[in-house]
Amino acid sequence: MKHNRQEDDFREEIASHIEMRAELNRERGLPADEALRAARRQFGNTSIVAEGMRQVHVSEFFEGLLQDLRYALRGFARQPMFAVTAVFAAALGIGSTTAVFSVVDRILFRSLPYREDNRLVSLGMMAPLDTNEFLFAESYFDWRKHQTPFESVTSFAAAIGDCDLTESNPLRLSCADVEANFLPTLGISPILGRNFTKEEDVRNGPRVVLISYGLWQSRFGRDPNVIGRRVSIDGGPVTILGVLPANFEMPTLAHPDVLTPERLDEARERNGRLLRVFARLKPGVTLAQAQQAMQPIWQRTLLSVPAPFRKEVHLSLRSLRDRQIHDARTASWVLLGAVCSVLLIACANIANLLLARATSRRKEMAVRAALGAGRGRLIRQTLTETVLLGVAGGAVGCGLAWLLLRTFIGIAPQGIPRLDQAALDLRVLLFALMASVIAGALFGIGPALVKPEAESLTGTRSAGAQRALLRECLVAAQIAVSLVLLASAGLLLRSLWKIESVPLGMETEHVITADFVLGSQGYRQDTRQLQFYDDLEARLAAIPGVTSFSISDSLPPAGITRARPLVAIQVEGLPPLTEGTGGMITWRYVTPGYFTTLGIPIVRGRGFNEEDRTPAASAMILSQTFAHRAFPNGDAIGKRIKADGWATVVGVVADVKNNGPTMAADPEYYVLRKRVVDEIFRNQMPPYGWRQAKVAIRTSVNAKVMTDWLKREFAALDPSLPVTFGSMQQRVGKLMDRPRFHAVLLSIFAGMGVLLAAIGLYGVMAFLVGQRTQEIGVRMALGATPGGIVKLVLRRASVWTLTGALVGLTGTIFATRLIRTLLFDVPALDPWTLAVVVPGLLVIALAAAWIPSLRAAHVDPMNALRHE
Amino acid sequence: MVDRSSLQGALALLILKTLARGPNHGFGIALHIQNASEGLLSVEEGSLYPALHRLERDKLVSAEWKVTANGRRARYYRLTAAGTKRLREAEASWDATAQGVMRVLRFA
Repeated sequence: MKHNRQEDDFREEIASHIEMRAELNRERGLPADEALRAARRQFGNTSIVAEGMRQVHVSEFFEGLLQDLRYALRGFARQPMFAVTAVFAAALGIGSTTAVFSVVDRILFRSLPYREDNRLVSLGMMAPLDTNEFLFAESYFDWRKHQTPFESVTSFAAAIGDCDLTESNPLRLSCADVEANFLPTLGISPILGRNFTKEEDVRNGPRVVLISYGLWQSRFGRDPNVIGRRVSIDGGPVTILGVLPANFEMPTLAHPDVLTPERLDEARERNGRLLRVFARLKPGVTLAQAQQAMQPIWQRTLLSVPAPFRKEVHLSLRSLRDRQIHDARTASWVLLGAVCSVLLIACANIANLLLARATSRRKEMAVRAALGAGRGRLIRQTLTETVLLGVAGGAVGCGLAWLLLRTFIGIAPQGIPRLDQAALDLRVLLFALMASVIAGALFGIGPALVKPEAESLTGTRSAGAQRALLRECLVAAQIAVSLVLLASAGLLLRSLWKIESVPLGMETEHVITADFVLGSQGYRQDTRQLQFYDDLEARLAAIPGVTSFSISDSLPPAGITRARPLVAIQVEGLPPLTEGTGGMITWRYVTPGYFTTLGIPIVRGRGFNEEDRTPAASAMILSQTFAHRAFPNGDAIGKRIKADGWATVVGVVADVKNNGPTMAADPEYYVLRKRVVDEIFRNQMPPYGWRQAKVAIRTSVNAKVMTDWLKREFAALDPSLPVTFGSMQQRVGKLMDRPRFHAVLLSIFAGMGVLLAAIGLYGVMAFLVGQRTQEIGVRMALGATPGGIVKLVLRRASVWTLTGALVGLTGTIFATRLIRTLLFDVPALDPWTLAVVVPGLLVIALAAAWIPSLRAAHVDPMNALRHE
Repeated sequence: MVDRSSLQGALALLILKTLARGPNHGFGIALHIQNASEGLLSVEEGSLYPALHRLERDKLVSAEWKVTANGRRARYYRLTAAGTKRLREAEASWDATAQGVMRVLRFA
């Protein structure tokens, strides 16, 4: 606006000049048109003149800025250590904050890829057999019909299973069965074609599918004519109706290749199909209100739950984000808190450096003020310098952030939601920019406002005392925040160490594992599956160097296992439970070599043998805890238990940590894989049934060699079967990934914090020593010893270090409470951790003060005094 | 000594001196300098206006839009207190410079 008015002014002033000249020309007798032309000619090029006027006004601002910049750069060049330290501190602070922000942004803040995602909720029944809410199809119809708080409710089959694209070039895909209103409820529409309709989503409806963007790209070369094409999935022809957007993901974070109609049929749904239910809240309805409104319906649902379970299930309503991030929330906030602390320390550090600089430049500033530099001009000069430092730190910090982010992703455990999407994009860079500018302003404004006083010109130092206090407070604050960081990192490290030393109840060394799922097409018949496993056993037994092996449906120490409530198990001679479920009992379907291979000791009785596998036999082995629970007063051996069918207990084995090292183990029993179809084999659980299996091999042969042999054997059995090889130690190690990730990250930040705090303390002490050189000279001239001078300096440093440590200890009490949920078997106020961290920090702090104190001790009294 | 800035300084001096007689617009200033120097000095518009705006920026003159006797809108410049002071200083230093230059020219 202002700019435009100015331009108009320029133009009008020129026009007015030319017209006046033309008038004069007319008065001198020239004809009107010739008068104007002569006036124009004499004026010359009007736009050059206008440009000349513009220049005058523009340069006023830029010349000042350029001068400030030149001046700042010259100043930095004169004191390179100052500039390098400041930029280094700013880069550490900004870089680590930016890297962590780019990770937690995806988890905590960024909107999900759905329309108005804050209105989306996950709802259902929360029960011990799953960590997420679900609903049986029978109840779902009631919920859908009678709910009031939601705009719409939708569902999909909980089991997202594999399906095969059975064409000339077969492909294993993952398929999800979703309701017709699934995409509209989330607010997603296909980028090509259409969604299937309610009329198509019925029993025996047309076979139609939506395909993912990825599949469209990789399989159909982004052919726009793919709509309406018929392809063959699991042996049947289906028609492609539409293509999903590239960023599509299920609310459960799954990425299925194909969406098919769920085909719920209210009249027939009686077999307990498990559904995931999501809904969109009506505008203005809160979660609590919705929870309240669902209560009557929930009471009805509860009636359909078998009596023993009722106490252990509850209605669950969560925002979609809460469901997705689970326990990542605490960790994310802790990390964000940690880096913000680092940023804080960095800012305090730079503020300190600038204060020191401001003190040493008071004379210069006072001279400039005396020579007529305005107060605004001096503030601007200081702010230019700090913002320049901030921006330089931001630039270096961006590079550091990129490096750190690569490291995070490299060491991150699986299951941190959306980590793969974390990147330094525009939003994150904006954050970094804001962080650096705010940091610049924060640590710049203080020194900038220091008023240059004429007194400074006299060379006395009395005015500096107050500022020294401020600087020492800043150092104390840095020490305090560092202590909190160090204590938190120490707790996480100790907790990691504890987790790693938890006995798992088995020997994990020298065990190779192989995971696979047999294709649903080729192994649809039971006989084909049994035949495959028979052949596999024969081949494994024939490999030289295999000490023992086992095939089982699952492997400890974690992962999905089969489980059933105690109430569903009948123990001979024991009355059935009358109240509650009795908790979940884990069970596994194994071959005889299982205990030998995993090194699980047999406590009583015997392990499985080949005779137990004859069709008529029925043997079962219990874990110690389960044996004790089922037969509290007697020997379990020889007793009978009915789970899938009656079986006789032949042995008791030691407990194995089957819920991971940090969780209490569940009681467990083992049943034997036979070579024929029996009751257990009939109990196939979706989505994979017994097609999913895990092989464990104990071997003394080099793992790589053995893996190659195994690969060959699998290829000979079924060349198209994808198999994942690993080792038992890797599987166990994966469980430590998350605590290790937290511990490593926090340690890095604590290290940065301590480093910065040490630099800060060093800077302050070095500065104080520099300022008091003359005083020290006098003291030495009067007979002070070098040792006495060192003590003098260290005493001053330790006062502030101890103050900081005390404040830090108080802060630690509060901060460690926040990370309690991340700890394992370590109290939030662990005396051992504090006993290492506090003295450690004090030693580092005193070491930082030691160097300047030595310099002080070497002051030459003659030189120092001559200085005056 | 005779560099761009001192020439600019000379122009600024002429402008300030002209304005000392009373507020005037750019054309009027150019005309007065030409007439007063009996045609010896002619001010180019290309340097006059930037010079005027520089003086305005430095708060030695102030400007406002007014209507001339002939009913035309024109930007009138007026000497400020700082401008008056600067004019006095500049006149003195110009006298010295001019005398110096004259002596050297005569000597040579």
